[in-house]
Amino acid sequence: MSTESILRVEGLSMYFPVYQGVMRKQVGEIKAVDDVSFSITKGETLGLVGESGCGKSTTGRAILKLYEPTAGRIELEGRDITELEGDELRAIRTDMQMIFQDPQACLNPRMTVGSIIAEPLDEHTRLKRRQKRERVRELLDAVGMNPDFENRYPHEFSGGQRQRIGIARALALEPKFIVCDEPIAALDVSIQAQVVNLLEDLQNKHNLTYLFISHDLSMVRHIADRIAVMYLGRLVELAPRQQLYSMPRHPYTKALLSAVPEPDPAREALRERIILKGDVPSPANPPSGCNFSTRCPIAEDKCRRETPAWREMDDGRFVACHMVQ
Amino acid sequence: MLNYTIRRLLFAIPTLLVISFIIFAILDLAPSDPTGNLPLTIPPEVREKIRLSLGLGEPFPIRYLKWLQQFFINEPLNLIEQWFGVSIGDSENRLRVQSWATRSPVVDLIVERMPQTLWVVGMSYVVGILIAIPIGVISAYKQYSVFDQVGTFISMVGFSVPTFFTGLVMIVIFSSTLGWLPSIYDTTHKVTDLASFWFQVKQMIMPVMVLALFNASQLSRFMRASMLDNLSQDYVRTARAKGLKERAVLLIHVLRNSLIPVVTVIALGIPQIFGGAIITEQIFRVNGLGQLLIIGIQGADIPLVQTLTFIFAVLIVLFNLVADIVYGILDPRIRYE
Amino acid sequence: MKKALLCSAITASFFAGTALAERGSDGQLNIIYWQAASILNPYLSGGTKDIEASSMVIEPLAHYDEKGTMVPNLVDEIPTVENGGVSEDLKSITWKLSEGLKWSDGSPVTAADVAFTADYCLHPEGGCQQASNFTDVESVEAIDDSTVKVNFSVAKPFPYGPFVGAQAPVIQKAQFENCMGAKAPECTDANFGPIGTGPFVVTEFKANDVVALEANPNFRDPAKPAFASVVFKGGGDAASAARSVLETGEFDYAWNLQVEPEILSKMAAAGKGTVVSSFGTSVERLMVNMTNPDPALGDKRATIEGGPHPFLTDPAVRTALSKAIDREILVEVGYGEAGQPTCNVLPAPAIYASTANDACLGQDIDAAKKLLDDAGWVPGSDGVREKDGVRLSILYQTSTNSVRQATQALVKQWWAEIGVETELRNIDASVFFGGDQSSPDTFQKFFADIEMYTNNFDGTDPENYMANWACKEIPSPQNQWLGDNMPRYCNAAYDALVAEMSTTAKLEDRAELAKKMNDMLMQEGAMIPLIHRGGVSAHANTLEGVRMNEWDSELWNVADWKRAK
Ligand SMILES: Nc1ncnc2c1ncn2[C@@H]1O[C@H](COP(=O)(O)OP(=O)(O)O)[C@@H](O)[C@H]1O
Ligand code: SF4
Ligand SMILES: [Mg+2]
Repeated sequence: MSTESILRVEGLSMYFPVYQGVMRKQVGEIKAVDDVSFSITKGETLGLVGESGCGKSTTGRAILKLYEPTAGRIELEGRDITELEGDELRAIRTDMQMIFQDPQACLNPRMTVGSIIAEPLDEHTRLKRRQKRERVRELLDAVGMNPDFENRYPHEFSGGQRQRIGIARALALEPKFIVCDEPIAALDVSIQAQVVNLLEDLQNKHNLTYLFISHDLSMVRHIADRIAVMYLGRLVELAPRQQLYSMPRHPYTKALLSAVPEPDPAREALRERIILKGDVPSPANPPSGCNFSTRCPIAEDKCRRETPAWREMDDGRFVACHMVQ
Repeated sequence: MLNYTIRRLLFAIPTLLVISFIIFAILDLAPSDPTGNLPLTIPPEVREKIRLSLGLGEPFPIRYLKWLQQFFINEPLNLIEQWFGVSIGDSENRLRVQSWATRSPVVDLIVERMPQTLWVVGMSYVVGILIAIPIGVISAYKQYSVFDQVGTFISMVGFSVPTFFTGLVMIVIFSSTLGWLPSIYDTTHKVTDLASFWFQVKQMIMPVMVLALFNASQLSRFMRASMLDNLSQDYVRTARAKGLKERAVLLIHVLRNSLIPVVTVIALGIPQIFGGAIITEQIFRVNGLGQLLIIGIQGADIPLVQTLTFIFAVLIVLFNLVADIVYGILDPRIRYE
Repeated sequence: MKKALLCSAITASFFAGTALAERGSDGQLNIIYWQAASILNPYLSGGTKDIEASSMVIEPLAHYDEKGTMVPNLVDEIPTVENGGVSEDLKSITWKLSEGLKWSDGSPVTAADVAFTADYCLHPEGGCQQASNFTDVESVEAIDDSTVKVNFSVAKPFPYGPFVGAQAPVIQKAQFENCMGAKAPECTDANFGPIGTGPFVVTEFKANDVVALEANPNFRDPAKPAFASVVFKGGGDAASAARSVLETGEFDYAWNLQVEPEILSKMAAAGKGTVVSSFGTSVERLMVNMTNPDPALGDKRATIEGGPHPFLTDPAVRTALSKAIDREILVEVGYGEAGQPTCNVLPAPAIYASTANDACLGQDIDAAKKLLDDAGWVPGSDGVREKDGVRLSILYQTSTNSVRQATQALVKQWWAEIGVETELRNIDASVFFGGDQSSPDTFQKFFADIEMYTNNFDGTDPENYMANWACKEIPSPQNQWLGDNMPRYCNAAYDALVAEMSTTAKLEDRAELAKKMNDMLMQEGAMIPLIHRGGVSAHANTLEGVRMNEWDSELWNVADWKRAK
């Protein structure tokens, strides 16, 4: 694995304005993503985990410039893409793609599978009709689908098949980097493994880089090389998989992991669940100081005053907590 | 789809028969009297004779069966005769559905009124659609923009202000004050050259616009809602992620999907064209089907009202089917077998 | 001598006509009737719009002019007993057609056409809507080509029902021969385009929409009509019809402008047209139920058998009700140009109009109260007067119509002032005036204490009209509620006057009798007249020759209409 980073995100923030009243006055903002920094190396899979609503999808979309980020900087292969617009932006879409959570909703119901997959080719390549068709069949084949399905409509397929179609579509332009936004969350458990395996195969074959989003820690364990943990719009910890699972450092990560069942019965017996008190605060009105301070079992006064910095530890991990040395 | 269509059409027959019976029964029970609007100077004995001459002396079932025969057998036969110039059986003595007030065949009256209704009401429908779709699309795309706010306001006004008011305002402005447009539609006008065509356009402008604005304000809201529905769908994000131009995203993905329910609504609204726009026709004296119906109701011209309402019922049933079929064609998720 | 005078008058007008105008020189005449014409055969339609539209095409032997005087039309003189045209026994009248009359198709008009017209209307299966104009006609015979004799089964002191006025025009035998009786409705072409003697012929007829006409090339006066064509447009409402004449100037003549008086005068201020009105015999009146409409009576409800009304039979109550009403205000609010206060049910023509009842014209609440006090009706705890347990509580019904509802509200208020409680009710006109036996809401059944509507009579002779209030005219289940005596008024003295009038021929004597009957009805309070209603129309200022007429078609003299130069 090379150490050359393909994507660097620095201080990325995405605030959604909140309007109210007849005149739609802006009364506040939802800090869906707040000052997030990380980088992904080529060929790697970075897992992004966190409870539902913590801002994972928003992060993924902001990176792909499907949103206009409020602040921060996104670099793709060393190129600053934060400010790209129009044709330039469309041009870099060939390098980065996204696989969506809901395989049903993300496919245009009125288009055939063939035209869904071929559309990016129409837009970004100068292939002839026949070549395009070849490519579509190739892609379907690559994701394990019968190429003859190209004339069918999305609703004729099962969830797993649709997700394969979504993957084929994402692959069409041979991107380097793919955001997989909970690609298996909506699927039956029996199918989840197949899709994960497919994604891994494709990664190996095409040397793809993934940002793999999931709300489920046990899921990313299989696929991610490194894992970033998110809470209320901010990253709290980022570490290689092994280290994170064996020795979480941030109190939130600890709590999360304590809820994951251990495969080993002996250790499972020892597992001590940390039950967090209270609810996740609203991203429209996050607590002062550390975002986690309202629920953190070891919070101190300082936590409520100062926002902990996103620091790199000696072992190369990143943590944002006053109490972690 | 063909089987489905045929099956639906077959099912429609008993439905329509029941509808025709209900209409007939309601009209018969309604306590209005064809001689009710005659001057009071006409003595009661004469009124009674008039009623008898209209066939009101016969019992209800007989009158209903007679109407059925006239409408379903005699009228179609008559149409065939007229179209092909042949004569079938005893066409001289075949009774057609006769209007009481005009003593002429109802179907001829309807045919006579078709042109102005189709031109004015139909055109207003088309114009309404042409106005509504772009407004709905832009409003949704630029949700809460000034354009959207103004559009929302105008369509609220357009929808809530009745056409008799907008019509009147238009007449006062364009006919009474400016004298640009005629306030009364000339149904005898024939388009033969450019000048007469221009006159036709002038006399159509006001009724068409009044109705078109009304239709558009409804439809644009519908279009907007449908667009908004689709704009927030994941497939739109997919389309953007594909790197499509914004226009393509909007027109190819969002608009086409949003049009499916709108097209259905449009199809369902077509019978309303034939129903004429009663109020607007009255104001501008377009004297189409709507006005024919209202005169029939006022004058208790039961055969006329019966036949017209029944034809509307047929159209409604028919266009419900058309809407379903169109939906099936447009939306691949729907399959009828 | 008389004939010579008439002839010279005709020739004079003939020369005057040629000197001034030429047929068809004034272009198009645009007429708007907000009720569209349904048919152009008045024998198959009683609607005023249809009768008036057809009056441009088919004509009677004589017209009534705007003063209600008969004027010869297709004849040279009106037959009377004096000139021998009416037989001494009053059982026949003989009309003599003018020389050289032609139908619009060029064929001659003969006595056979006139006789045929009567046969057409008298056919038992035809459902002729003008049959009342042919009442008591036994036969109509063509004596020769230009002489026609109408025989009556009884003595007819007023024998001018058939062929006088727009309701009874002459139709062409050749055209309608095969359209008798049950076949009448099937002759659509003839009913939509009758051949006539009038100044115009139909070129296009769209039922319930528009009639297009052009000058009749065979019209008897070669200089007339001045207009080459007529468009008779229908539909819409009265206000916009008024606007099209008074404001936009698109039309030349608009009929029956039942528009709020205030709106009409605003429109007229635009200066494009003139509002004209004329008064016939229409009177908006309150009918007083002399029988008991109590629902508890079941089948006997509102009949003589059901017994007298609990309090409306008291003359004091009826008089008080009338005195409490301010008719001037009713005119102002609802009628404007189209109404005048009246105290007579027979307000016109002038010779029949009584002045004996004019005391009712001024409102007098105090007098009304006193009347009731004196009669023993004393206010109860809620202010409603009562006597022997009977409360003065009135159910007051009429047809649905904004002016009528405004009138109802005002009257209710006045009656409340004198201690009479009123419940208002309005019923859709086609139900109220419709003869549906099964409906309890018809004006004949009169299941109420007071009802209000307008009635009038055709032509100028009130004999039949006044006979409406004879005892035998009382509607009841026995006569299927047919009958015009809504108040259920029954008075032998009145019946005697009715009988006397039916045998009196002399006009002055007839007038005396009619007045006497009117006064009897008024003084007994069988009905409370409110408004003498007129017709209101409007014509463009560029249109000359309009002589607004309530006794005949408003278009009766359309041949004389012309464009102002
Ligand atoms: N378009 C948007 N407008 C306003 N708020 C949004 C929008 N998208 C997401 N949010 C809010 O931002 C927060 C993060 O959402 P999301 O990124 O979808 O969370 P996750 O994917 O982690 O479940 C949520 O509170 C959500 O309500
Ligand atoms: S900074 Fe404080 S509140 Fe936040 S996680 Fe660390 S200990 Fe807990
Ligand atoms: Mg998400």
